[in-house]
Amino acid sequence: MDVDSRAEVVYADDEPSAFASMLGGLIEANVRSRPEKERDFDSLKARVGIWVTDIDEGVTLEFARGKLIVHNGLKTRRTLTIRTDADTVMSLSNLKIGLLGLPVYYDEVGRGVALKLLTGKLKIDGLLPNVLTLNTVTRIFSVQ
Amino acid sequence: MAVKAFSNEWAKAFKDEVNRSSVYKSAGKGWKWTVGLVVEAEPDKHFTEAKGIVMDLFDGEARDIKVGPASDAQKCDFVITAPYTRWKEVATSQLDATKGMLQGKLKLKGDLPTIVRYTKASQEMTLCTTRIPVEWPDEK
Repeated sequence: MDVDSRAEVVYADDEPSAFASMLGGLIEANVRSRPEKERDFDSLKARVGIWVTDIDEGVTLEFARGKLIVHNGLKTRRTLTIRTDADTVMSLSNLKIGLLGLPVYYDEVGRGVALKLLTGKLKIDGLLPNVLTLNTVTRIFSVQ
Repeated sequence: MAVKAFSNEWAKAFKDEVNRSSVYKSAGKGWKWTVGLVVEAEPDKHFTEAKGIVMDLFDGEARDIKVGPASDAQKCDFVITAPYTRWKEVATSQLDATKGMLQGKLKLKGDLPTIVRYTKASQEMTLCTTRIPVEWPDEK
């Protein structure tokens, strides 16, 4: 396991995939630069799978209250699994965060994400019992 | 008329396409960093020497786009590196740049949250490259 002593993000695989490195790097940069995201990061315990349907690649993000382990591929015991295309993954990371820390679904990016959800192009397994977890992950993931 | 791939004429055509794009003008608002594209050599494709494309982009406008040595591009705030064939795939719409980055086919160096924030601008820049008629060295 590759461990950076300064970082809260580690990679479970000796050779993290490009997608794993990108997501891990994105979350690490977000958490380090934004205290509100760091608070969410420190409180979150969940295993979140992200599968990108048009490149057939995925990761499992194992949040462990202040630490993130990024696994190549989908691992077992996931709290949530997001399945969508690459463009929507980028849109998810561009969702604005509004009042009460809730993702904004009424601007252009948010409407696009909501439409993908309604049309089945964005699927989230485990959504109903884990809406709060999804909101927390979205806040950590968003660059806005 | 087609221009030679990654030549000065190509750079000028690329700059003109970017500055013609109302989508880029809007999506690139607030951008203030330089972007370098490194095109790695592939001698078997008749692309014998690595080239660097340095893009001076500011607030939705391409102020300058120059072709030079790869080392110039590597000094930019954001650097995207790929072999000639990959860039050709991007410029001919065979490879989506976003997917290419997620798959590691295009290697990105730079602040990730910033580049993700400007996904729409970078997608439009990619579209601009596809609108330039290009003479590819491996198709002569």
